[in-house]
Amino acid sequence: MTVTAWISIVALVWCFVLFLSYLLTLIRKGKPEDLSQKSGNTAKGILYSNTGAMMPNAKESAYMHLPTYTAGIIFHLGNFLSLLMFVWVIICCCCNLYTPAILAWILAACLTISSICGFSIFVKRAFSKNLRSLSCFDDYFSNGICTLFQIAGLLLMLSQAGPLAAHASVLLNVYFIVAAVLFFWMPLGKIRHLLYYFSARCHLGFFYGWRNTWPPKKA
Amino acid sequence: MDNITKEQRKAALDVMRATLAADSKFQTHLNACVKCGLCATSCMYYIAYKDPKFIPGRKVDLVSSIYRRYFTPEGKYFPALFRAKDLDAKMAEEMVDCLYGGCTMCGRCVKHCSIGVDVAYIVKKGREMLAAMGLVPKTLQATVDAALNTGNNMAIPTEEFLDTLKWMEEELQDEMNDEKANIPVDQHDKKIMYTLNPREPKFFPLSISAMAKVFYAAGESWTLSSKYYDVTNYGYFSGNNAHAAQIAQYLYDEVHHLGAKQLILGECGHGSRASRWEGPNLIKHPYDFEMETVLELMAEYIRSGRIKVDKSLNTTLCTLHDPCNLVRNGGLLQEMRFVVKSCVSNFVEMTPHGNDNFCCGGGGGALAMSEYNERRLKIGEIKANQIRATGAKIVITPCHNCVDQLMQLNHTYKLGVTIKTVAEIVADALVITPAAAKPDPANDTATSAAGHSSEPAEKDPTLF
Repeated sequence: MTVTAWISIVALVWCFVLFLSYLLTLIRKGKPEDLSQKSGNTAKGILYSNTGAMMPNAKESAYMHLPTYTAGIIFHLGNFLSLLMFVWVIICCCCNLYTPAILAWILAACLTISSICGFSIFVKRAFSKNLRSLSCFDDYFSNGICTLFQIAGLLLMLSQAGPLAAHASVLLNVYFIVAAVLFFWMPLGKIRHLLYYFSARCHLGFFYGWRNTWPPKKA
Repeated sequence: MDNITKEQRKAALDVMRATLAADSKFQTHLNACVKCGLCATSCMYYIAYKDPKFIPGRKVDLVSSIYRRYFTPEGKYFPALFRAKDLDAKMAEEMVDCLYGGCTMCGRCVKHCSIGVDVAYIVKKGREMLAAMGLVPKTLQATVDAALNTGNNMAIPTEEFLDTLKWMEEELQDEMNDEKANIPVDQHDKKIMYTLNPREPKFFPLSISAMAKVFYAAGESWTLSSKYYDVTNYGYFSGNNAHAAQIAQYLYDEVHHLGAKQLILGECGHGSRASRWEGPNLIKHPYDFEMETVLELMAEYIRSGRIKVDKSLNTTLCTLHDPCNLVRNGGLLQEMRFVVKSCVSNFVEMTPHGNDNFCCGGGGGALAMSEYNERRLKIGEIKANQIRATGAKIVITPCHNCVDQLMQLNHTYKLGVTIKTVAEIVADALVITPAAAKPDPANDTATSAAGHSSEPAEKDPTLF
């Protein structure tokens, strides 16, 4: 294990501890107490909130903005893939394993597509007047560091698959440094929505489920 | 706006602190927005003005930036990196403009948010902070004050209210050709205490006689209160929860005072919400009597055969406006349509409708805030275009707030339609035979009832 690998693991622990503290705080505070008489089914509301309500045909933010929505979905899939890949890379480092070439090529291809999507979202934020008015350093940096993490992973896979093998050591160190920065920033910036997204969906499902709005009924 | 004082800032931050401590909802929604901006096209204000300040995510950011500044270490020490902002005069001014004057709290953006941020809830909390700072727009506060001081938000004197009821009762008796047809007032131990939007006695008294006709046909045991009949609660929109609780308490206490078994909420979207969903939370305990909207009551009447309706009596092409607080935020999408479709033979939906409906533009207290009249009518053009596209000649809506706004849109955009409440449509479709009408024999008339009890049981000189 290199020093940079250890740094990234320390950052991951920092990230994990802070996210855990956020989660425990949410659990401790609990859901709002509603003294009104329930009309619907909150369990079904929460289920719908996390399933049907997330379908592209259910939200204007999806079906009216399909290119951005699609790019966002792919970018997020790339983020989750990158996080899984980080675990795999650490295991490889600990156990002296190598990613099979075919898998490395597949991962590289996926990360190429997702990082392009991430970059396109970054560009949109930078050039759209509306988004600029909403954005601060955190918005650009959070998007940028996630995209960079995917690119670093992509280059690492290329080094393991062959084309960049000569730079494997450098790319591995770069990969760990980028990972460390990402993990350090995650609980501080807007990437916190990794946790709060699920909490928001549950609160919304509870709210609409209580009032019998969700699951939706036919008009 | 002049500088805000330390006391004002502290009051606002105390509201935020208390809300954060209460449960996980506020913390969740403050941290969930990713500022993707995709909510913009779901907001009437943004669609009408194309101004970034009206993007729902921007409204959330106004409140969350204060949260970051005062309640997170990163915002406290590195405010520029995280857009953490001081609660100063400029910020307060922007909040008043966007949270009161740039949002009807319709919740349309909530359903369409890519994350699920409850924007309307955050806006409500922002308004609560502003109310704690004493920054409620004067016109909205005047409406709340009227309700607090007189029992109804239009400060209608009791004598005027009773005169209107008497007039409507005579109309009802003429129409039914039955002297027993009545509008009971202040009668004790009736099954139902019915409530009104003060706009009804003030501007639309025929909607009172329409509902009285429905009660007459159903043979219902009901009464109005001469003192606390107002279903509205603008305290909910002003953000002053103490005021909202006091107004909710008026209705709660009056149901007990009259010994009614059930509170029926008249045709008012936010009023129904303020009692049905928010009331128990405002007064901090569940209601110990039944409560439902008049829509649900009429649906029960029709389903059970207690009233008979003939849809061939309403043949003009009708459309329906979904009040946000009854449908998206109240779950009555199907009940409302069941009643309306039982009573009209020619019906067309707006696009979009139901949970996706656009607000009329007068919600969230907008109708009470004359400071923002121009905005209200401008965003209302979206609703006007929806109505025009249906080709309907009658627009039905179970909300007097919406009725008022729709009438103004009708005039401004020359729609050439008639606006009706659901009770009016039901009354028009009623089939009343001598056998069907079973007036409650115990009901006295408005005149006699008022004569018997025009003096409130607990006369409060500050109220009238």
